Amino acid sequence: MRIPCPFCGSRDAHEFSYLGDATPRRPDPAAPGAEAAFFDYVYLRDNPAGAFEEWWYHAAGCRQWLKVARDTRTHAITGAVLARDVAAPAAPTPAGGETAR
Amino acid sequence: MSPLPANRRAANRLAAGGRIDRSRTLAFSFDGRRLDGHPGDTLASALLANGVKLVGRSFKYHRPRGIVSAGPEEPNALVELRGGARREPNSRATVTELFDGLEATSQNRWPSLALDLLSVNGLLAPFLGAGFYYKTFMWPAALWEKLYEPAIRRAAGLGRAAEAADPDSYEKVNAFCDLLVIGSGPAGLMAARTAARAGARVILAEEDFLPGGRLNAEALEVDGAPGHLFAARTLAELAGLPNVRLMTRTTVFGVYDGGTYGAVEKVSDHLPEPGPFQPRQRLWRIVARRAILAAGATERPIVFGGNDRPGVMAAGAVQAYANRFGVAAARQVAVFANNDGAWRATFEARTAGLGVAAIIDVRSEVPPALLARAQALGIRAIPGGVVTATRGRTLAGIEITVGGRREQIAVDGLAVSGGWSPNLHLTCHHGGRPVWDPRLAAFVPGSTPPGLEAAGAAAGRLTLGAALRDGLEAGARAVADIGLIVHPIEPPKAEDEPAGIAAFWHVAASRGPAFVDQQNDVTAKDIALAHKEGFRSVEHLKRYTTLGMATDQGKTSNVTGLAIMAELTGAGIEATGTTIFRPPYTPVALGVFAGHHRGREFRPVRLTPTHGWAERQGAVFIETGPWLRAQYFPRPGETDWLETVNREVKAVRASVGMIDVSTFGKIDLQGPDAGAFLDRVYINTFSTLPVGKARYGVMLREDGLVMDDGTTARLGESHYVMTTTTANAAKVFQHLEFCLQVLWPELDVQMASVSEQWAQIALAGPKAREVLARIVDAGTDVSDAALPFMGVLGTTVLGGVPARLFRVSFSGELGYEIAVPARQGERLAEALMAAGAPFGITPYGIEALGVMRIEKGHVSGNELSGQTTAADLGLGRMASTRKDHIGRVMAARPGLADPARPSLVGLKPVDGAARLRAGAHLLPPGVPATTANDEGYITSVAYSPHLGHWIGLGLLARGPQRLGERVRAYDPVRGGDLEVEVCAPCFLDPKGERLRG
Amino acid sequence: MAEMSSPAHPLSHTRPIPAGHHGRPGTAGVVARWREDLAIATLAARHGGEAALAAAMDAAFGLALPAGPKAAGANGVSALGLAPRRWLVLASQRPALAAELAGLGGGAVTEQSDGYAVLDLAGPEVRAVLAKLVAVDLDPAVFSTGDVVASSLAHIGAVLWQTGEEPTYRLLVGTSFAAAFSHTLLAAAAEYGLDLADAGRGPEAGRGTGRG
Ligand SMILES: [Zn+2]
Repeated sequence: MRIPCPFCGSRDAHEFSYLGDATPRRPDPAAPGAEAAFFDYVYLRDNPAGAFEEWWYHAAGCRQWLKVARDTRTHAITGAVLARDVAAPAAPTPAGGETAR
Repeated sequence: MSPLPANRRAANRLAAGGRIDRSRTLAFSFDGRRLDGHPGDTLASALLANGVKLVGRSFKYHRPRGIVSAGPEEPNALVELRGGARREPNSRATVTELFDGLEATSQNRWPSLALDLLSVNGLLAPFLGAGFYYKTFMWPAALWEKLYEPAIRRAAGLGRAAEAADPDSYEKVNAFCDLLVIGSGPAGLMAARTAARAGARVILAEEDFLPGGRLNAEALEVDGAPGHLFAARTLAELAGLPNVRLMTRTTVFGVYDGGTYGAVEKVSDHLPEPGPFQPRQRLWRIVARRAILAAGATERPIVFGGNDRPGVMAAGAVQAYANRFGVAAARQVAVFANNDGAWRATFEARTAGLGVAAIIDVRSEVPPALLARAQALGIRAIPGGVVTATRGRTLAGIEITVGGRREQIAVDGLAVSGGWSPNLHLTCHHGGRPVWDPRLAAFVPGSTPPGLEAAGAAAGRLTLGAALRDGLEAGARAVADIGLIVHPIEPPKAEDEPAGIAAFWHVAASRGPAFVDQQNDVTAKDIALAHKEGFRSVEHLKRYTTLGMATDQGKTSNVTGLAIMAELTGAGIEATGTTIFRPPYTPVALGVFAGHHRGREFRPVRLTPTHGWAERQGAVFIETGPWLRAQYFPRPGETDWLETVNREVKAVRASVGMIDVSTFGKIDLQGPDAGAFLDRVYINTFSTLPVGKARYGVMLREDGLVMDDGTTARLGESHYVMTTTTANAAKVFQHLEFCLQVLWPELDVQMASVSEQWAQIALAGPKAREVLARIVDAGTDVSDAALPFMGVLGTTVLGGVPARLFRVSFSGELGYEIAVPARQGERLAEALMAAGAPFGITPYGIEALGVMRIEKGHVSGNELSGQTTAADLGLGRMASTRKDHIGRVMAARPGLADPARPSLVGLKPVDGAARLRAGAHLLPPGVPATTANDEGYITSVAYSPHLGHWIGLGLLARGPQRLGERVRAYDPVRGGDLEVEVCAPCFLDPKGERLRG
Repeated sequence: MAEMSSPAHPLSHTRPIPAGHHGRPGTAGVVARWREDLAIATLAARHGGEAALAAAMDAAFGLALPAGPKAAGANGVSALGLAPRRWLVLASQRPALAAELAGLGGGAVTEQSDGYAVLDLAGPEVRAVLAKLVAVDLDPAVFSTGDVVASSLAHIGAVLWQTGEEPTYRLLVGTSFAAAFSHTLLAAAAEYGLDLADAGRGPEAGRGTGRG
């Protein structure tokens, strides 16, 4: 399998490590019901057959986290972007547990 | 071995012809018999040239078998090559390139090929039918290992493996191209030439040592010249182009995702042993933007009674042996076929000099042109006939039935053709399913893997003209796809020879066992039995009968077996389905997958910056992950490792010792948000850490369990350096990158691994400061006031070497870690040894380090098991409640916050002489040793020279509340069962006075 | 070939292969030289600091920081793009490189001079040998002078930079892998012959002794 790293170019998947579903967002730890939200975030994963967005880390290359679009049925990879370029700030976690965006 | 006199010709070598070098003779042996061949021969062609027909025994019944093909589809002619450690079983004689001195031995016979006592299996044939393995050896299971398996292996074993380590080397190579062409027959050559002329980067991979495919085996003309000359011309053109890589002896065996192909190049298999510095085989990983499968087609047999008798061959093989090798596979052949191509093969064989007794065609209507040509060549044509029996130890005659009449024909060869099956295996490697083409009576490729297209015979274009045109067009399409300009190329002129066929699989009314899969001894009757027993699915049929499951992977048998099943069910081939193929296409030696990564080169070893110094100190090394670390430093007279380790521990506690700790992960963190970032990844706070101080930190995974620990020092207002455990260095780095890039990209932090940059040596013991003071440069104050416990100092040592001093301790003693640039590591070690000599400074290894950390109660890898919380390890109070951090929310789950969870305690045996064992379970005294009563386990143990007995750390339910209690340490695996006392997890200096001394 | 994988290997696996000729006799297909004279530092831009950093590098060294996996060099200083907003800076005869870079402001600078073992590679077969080690296309059609790749070479993390047309390359691996990498290089290059020149140290000196 080849992954088109936006920085390095097309590379063999051996150079990357896999994390999984890129959909879940780290919940706001200060919000009510944070424990249930974190439980979902940590453990619950969809396992779709078809288009899927997932996190891959280019460990042997630029060490960037990528969001990779892959079809789980064919392994066809249709694109990859740098996480930094797409990750809107998650629920922040400043000291004191306040929330701010 | 002495070659034949030049004027003598092997018995069945034709007077002329063939792509062999008759001017040179190669001597070889088969079962000890000395024979000769020529360069260009395969082992099979050389054996046939010498009149050798019997080459092996079959797998199950040990029936005598001969050569049936001239290619990789060969099911029978499997031999052992070479001897000793290079012995390779199951080598196909039909693709084994002859070399001078080749030694080949037949297989599956005992004691000899001619008299095989194991062929008694043949007498048991009625009991060895379909499902034999399943039915016979089902019960009782206990007999499997003792009785059945050895018996099956002895009687049915397929060759013998070499017992010594493979002396040869293998390697892996990466290649990239615009177009990969698999196969160099007419279609492959045209595809490669078209793409190469358009400027594409082309790899042409050919399994054979002679490229050209069927152009070498047949006598058809291209552009008015023999096909093999066209092949040679085209190959010469390709060889001269810088954008083309021609790879012979290279089999593409698998298609993987993303246009990646696996291929094995047999670099040295055609040599007695690899040349100097040459590997035996190379594994190629080829990344291709486009690929064309031009792997040709494989001729199928027709199944009839006695069809496995040596002398029965594929018609195309008889043709190939005549045209390519100048060998008469038999002196007098008959032909049994259902298609026009076999007639042409017969005519070519006749022209080459073989005697042809008759052509028996199952079709009653044969094109008149073929009949006329047969007549002209004096060949008797028998339309509407079938072969119903064979006779002879090797073939001596056949019985045919035509119009209800039986007739005997004396022949020593029978050329059979049931038509041709496209070699579409690679098209299935992404789940593509072949499609039945009734016009060709063959499966043709269905959907193909992305970027791969089949062309020529592999795509069902079975005539020469069509294959050439198809290859050209496929090549043009591929280069156009990748954006190159193709100039029109005129296809070479070749005829589309007659290729009519009538599907025909099995002569039902024939006598004697009729083999579908000769390699696995599966007969038409076995398939009928499987059908009777209710098997319908092709995949089930395959597994139940073992059809197509031997090393030839059913190249000649799958379609026929399927067709027979379809006849039985009456469902038709389309409805019956096909078996699909998975990688690899041909067997691949495991060594080639490992490449150079075997033995000492299995994986790269990392050396610490002081490795050379440790070697000179006589260290014993141990692999910890990729690292080679000093385990202990034995001295003359010490008889076991524990004696050494005890000495090292005592020396540190009494005076001073040193150990390389460079293997810890070290991460440089800079930026205005570095402190805030650390607060979010550690359970404790680092933003408030003063510059010039270090702090022990614990980080969790998001699920609330401990990920790693280590000290982090603040070097400047926005500059920290973190240490991780050796084992988790890469994992922690990746985790921190995730936090920075995915979770909190707004944090302005720059990270760099400095694990390789710094050599770090821990100096520990009451005399550590005095030693340190002797190596720092003048003006550096290392007094307790200037460098207190957990203090950090940037300075120079050894006359200007930049250094970082950390006053931290893992051993529980007054301790420092001294970091210098990696290349200065050995110099620092030597300087510390010299400076510490007056104090008897002692190098110690990771064993002594482990003892001291257990004495001190520091957790390490065994406790950071991925199943423990900070609270379990007695570190819960470190967690700041004033901030969020990774894992905080989930760590508060009731299951993880339960005070009854097994938590860290110290353990000591009640019997002071007893030895503790890590892994022993902890149970309350006097209860049965059951899972329900299990209260935890011992994580780490050590012999404490300081206390004079074994000590341990463990995780015990409600442990911290049970100090002084006695529990049972039960170790069923090693037979241990003893009473231990629970104590605080610190056996030495609980107040830390030594640290602060 | 036995020399390359036999347990009775005459070369120690715990030190780099010694300087000299290895593998096939005759003219070496690969010529390699350890470099010990290079100062190396990583340079990473602060958030929003790319432009200022680029300007400072231009002013100080006349060097335009590359945006992709490329090398840019001027006045004996080269910057290799390793990741977005992150570079590896190399300079010969400039021991205070890291301090000079830190003085520019606008970026995080980390001293790495001892973090890498550096080999300069040349020779007629160098590309064929690298094809055995790295799964990246080095064909001149797609990879040429000034191109940089961070990848893994036979399971060892490495930075590879094509420094010249012949081609020549500069290769950086982690210091702890220097010995292992030298053996891997030999295994790959033995069929063509390998000439290894050390950086002026005796063959017995393992890596990790003092520089020069
Ligand atoms: Zn990358």
